[in-house]
Amino acid sequence: MAVTEQFLELAANGLVYSSIIILGSIGLSLIYSIAGFANFAHGDTMTVGAYATLIAFGAVGGAGFSILGLPLGFFVALVIGIVVTAAVALVTERLVYKPLDIGSIGLLITSIGVAFIYRALIQVQFSSDSRRFDIDRLRPIEPLVEYGIRITKHDIAIVISAVTLVVGLHVLLQHTDLGRKMRATADNPDLARASGIRIRRVELWTWVLGAGLAGAGGAFLGLFNLLAPRMGFSELLVIFAAVILGGIGSVYGAMLGGLLIGMIVSMTPLLSTVGIPIGGEYAAALAFIVMVLVLLVRPEGIAGEPVGGG
Amino acid sequence: MSQVNAREYWTDMNRAEQGVATFMAVTIGGLLVAMLAGGLDPTYFLFLFGLGGMFALMSLGLNAQWGFTGLINFSVAAFFGLGAYGAALMTATNSPVAGGFDPIFGLVLGLVLAAVFAVAIGIPTLRLRADYLAIATLGLAEVIRTVILNERDLTAGSQGLRGIPGFFENWPVLSTFPEAMPGLRIEIIPGQPVVLELSFWEQLLNVSLLLVFLGVSFFVLRRAHRSPWGRVLRTIRSDEDLAKTLGKNTYWYKMQAFVLGSLVMALAGGFFAHLNLFVDPSNLDPITTFYVWVAVMLGGAGSNRGALFGGFVVVAIREGPRFINELPPAPVRNVLEGIVNVIPSVTVEIPSIVLDAGPLRLLLIGLTIILVMRYRPQGVLPPQRELIWPDAIEEDEKARPEMGVREAKTGEIDD
Amino acid sequence: MTESTDETVDQPTTAAETGSKPEAQSETDQRGATLSKSNVVLRVDDLQKSFGALAATDHATFEVERGTITGMIGPNGAGKSTLFNLISGYYDPDGGTVSLNDGEITGEEPYNIAERGLIRTFQTPRKLEGMTVREAMMIGPQNQPGESFRKLFTSPGEVGDSERQNLADVERILEEFEIDHLARQPATDISGGQMKLVELARAMLAEPDILLLDEPVAGVNPTLANKLAEQIRRLNDEGTTFLLIEHDMDFIMNLADPIIVLNQGSVLTEGTPDEVRSDDRVADAYLGGGSV
Repeated sequence: MAVTEQFLELAANGLVYSSIIILGSIGLSLIYSIAGFANFAHGDTMTVGAYATLIAFGAVGGAGFSILGLPLGFFVALVIGIVVTAAVALVTERLVYKPLDIGSIGLLITSIGVAFIYRALIQVQFSSDSRRFDIDRLRPIEPLVEYGIRITKHDIAIVISAVTLVVGLHVLLQHTDLGRKMRATADNPDLARASGIRIRRVELWTWVLGAGLAGAGGAFLGLFNLLAPRMGFSELLVIFAAVILGGIGSVYGAMLGGLLIGMIVSMTPLLSTVGIPIGGEYAAALAFIVMVLVLLVRPEGIAGEPVGGG
Repeated sequence: MSQVNAREYWTDMNRAEQGVATFMAVTIGGLLVAMLAGGLDPTYFLFLFGLGGMFALMSLGLNAQWGFTGLINFSVAAFFGLGAYGAALMTATNSPVAGGFDPIFGLVLGLVLAAVFAVAIGIPTLRLRADYLAIATLGLAEVIRTVILNERDLTAGSQGLRGIPGFFENWPVLSTFPEAMPGLRIEIIPGQPVVLELSFWEQLLNVSLLLVFLGVSFFVLRRAHRSPWGRVLRTIRSDEDLAKTLGKNTYWYKMQAFVLGSLVMALAGGFFAHLNLFVDPSNLDPITTFYVWVAVMLGGAGSNRGALFGGFVVVAIREGPRFINELPPAPVRNVLEGIVNVIPSVTVEIPSIVLDAGPLRLLLIGLTIILVMRYRPQGVLPPQRELIWPDAIEEDEKARPEMGVREAKTGEIDD
Repeated sequence: MTESTDETVDQPTTAAETGSKPEAQSETDQRGATLSKSNVVLRVDDLQKSFGALAATDHATFEVERGTITGMIGPNGAGKSTLFNLISGYYDPDGGTVSLNDGEITGEEPYNIAERGLIRTFQTPRKLEGMTVREAMMIGPQNQPGESFRKLFTSPGEVGDSERQNLADVERILEEFEIDHLARQPATDISGGQMKLVELARAMLAEPDILLLDEPVAGVNPTLANKLAEQIRRLNDEGTTFLLIEHDMDFIMNLADPIIVLNQGSVLTEGTPDEVRSDDRVADAYLGGGSV
């Protein structure tokens, strides 16, 4: 296959994968900024979303008209999945994180425990086998195959949904009261508290939004790929790479980072084609190396605030 | 060292230590009883002990990095794996690069690989702040695992390396020890014999090797801890700027601690190769890293004895679910039902949840982490003694400092 | 800048050398710290540091003479802590130089600067969990043989001897500071003021030529503050130069001479406490800029 064709195909797939990563990285970045710690349970939060959507879809069923090959029931299940994920995050925050009086490192370690519990509970119900949504798999969109692009209507649905959610978040952050308060708290928590913002509420909303987006990302990941109890944890490091590349503390940085890392991971096979002997199986490893390089050279990432020296 | 007077030794321990000692005694005692009663296969008992010791060894290593120095290292599994692969690449029958060498070479290769990669990982990461260090070490460990998985020409990839001999296969007396030893059949309870034969003697050799590794590591780490070197690490953990301002090259000390810990982890990996006789990339799965973290958290960051204790408890978490997959476990349930049903006209069945071993393990790990962080972040046996060279302190001063327990909580480091 | 100070130090080398040229030859002592024959211990020349658009340090230039207790004051935001961080190597300057005993230390690593004889304390030290006071102090002396991992196993005798010596030094200095009863208390059990004394004592164990103290009596009760001042004077008599930042005017005016006034990142003026007190520009800086 010619290089251009491979490039287009990988780029198209990359766009879909990036959409999913962005949904994860925004949430992680929000939680990092406002709750103040690196949430290692974020990947498994995506898994929770995926399986919640799976269960809901099983209940709602695939009847009704379809949009882009996805039955209406799927979108209903998706919304349910998002709500369930947000609820789980809130319960976790209240039961586990809030009572702890330890620094961000302690919370980081605790979140690993939370990750294991999420995964354990899912595995109890579903065993460690992989499965798919009960939706017919589609064939690639005909006209595009000519150009070497093999994406399905499902993929387009994923991208459009992700874009919708991201735009929604943008509107919320820029044009609502809550959004303003969230940005203020992320920038300077002490100042925010002093100016009367109720930090507790902002924190809770952050968990709702962060987990909700992650849940959506998980559902889409299950649609794009498949569902397995390990699915979220496998993406966790990639999402961290995205957040670090984009810059901790910046939601828009997280979006950009998600796009870049998603593309890097998806387009790794191109390297062999142009003579660099790094195979597609090293895609994730490549993302991690990029992440470490960013930490070495420019720890604040593309859009974050400078670290240290302040 | 002064004479050890048993009674004084006991009262000298604080309650946590007494609790742990009792717990260990009861557990090991119980297992011994089960074994002598013919209920527990002695070979398996030794195997469990070996596994516990292996995790204890890894915990000692992580303790040097996290407990002494405050380094959040999530690459434990990678160094364990490097030790295992070093041993395997030199000795396995299907090794693409070597094979058939004496296990000593494998051990050396494992240690060399660990040192090299520790420096390679340390250079970019040891200047990072704690949470970035965590993320970066996890990522780089995954890179190592991916390389081992995919470079089939070097490592045999997902096939794994098999046919690894026992460690002592070329040694004069020890190689024939298992066959030379007679099979023993001991019947303490009639009808329930305790059989000690070839596999048992082989395991005994393995366990002896492990005890040597444990002994050497414990000795080295204990001396290193209660010394000026250990103090510098401890200061780095609490307040790195302070250490710098007093003239200590903190980056270099962190690197030393990191390499030291990694070597000990590789030792555990080497032991594993000769225990399991088969090594594959799944041995570098991050779950091992978190098992070891649980062990160190349970034991108490900075405490060598705590690391040993934690290692054995973690093996219980890992292996227990194979046998006990009901909560509450069947024997407990029977007892409870028996008690409740004594009341006439009451027949109650206590409900239970049946879980597969896999998710049960994950659940136990997750719960342990959360419960420790919530209720005992300093661990069960937090370090007690001042980090001053023992020879420099008067005998009677060696006991605890004046006021109570000194605790470094898991979450608190120079952030 | 050759005003005679009341706290003239009894140093044979400098007494003879007063007025010698700045670029005196340097010898090194056993530690590798440069023994300069000039009477300027620390020289800061045209130092600059900006954070974004803000020039935290704006062409700051001053000298600290050997044997003095030099004070540094200035309104909030004047850049005093930034200056300390620049001098002691925690920040890299955008321009300018810092010299210690006529050897340049600009942008060096903090531990290198410490080895060469400049030690600093911090305003808000972190709690040292799980250590006794004497243990916390044992970290002070530099170049301890036991800090080498190898020597722990190859020369345990040497390590043991050095530890015994250090322990004795620690106990001696705690006695001099009149806090030896705290030696075996957990470090977290002592008061803030006592901790400041411990920090000063520990810093002295590192054998500094010059000690930079960052707000040594912030939040300390007057009795302990006096004790600190006493100790600083005593140590100064014995040969250590001090540069201290303080907001407590009484404390610093009674202790330090000369006093450097910093404002908006550069040196506004310097002089004796009386001169500074009566300088209108200084009062303006405080009223116009931050608060005292």
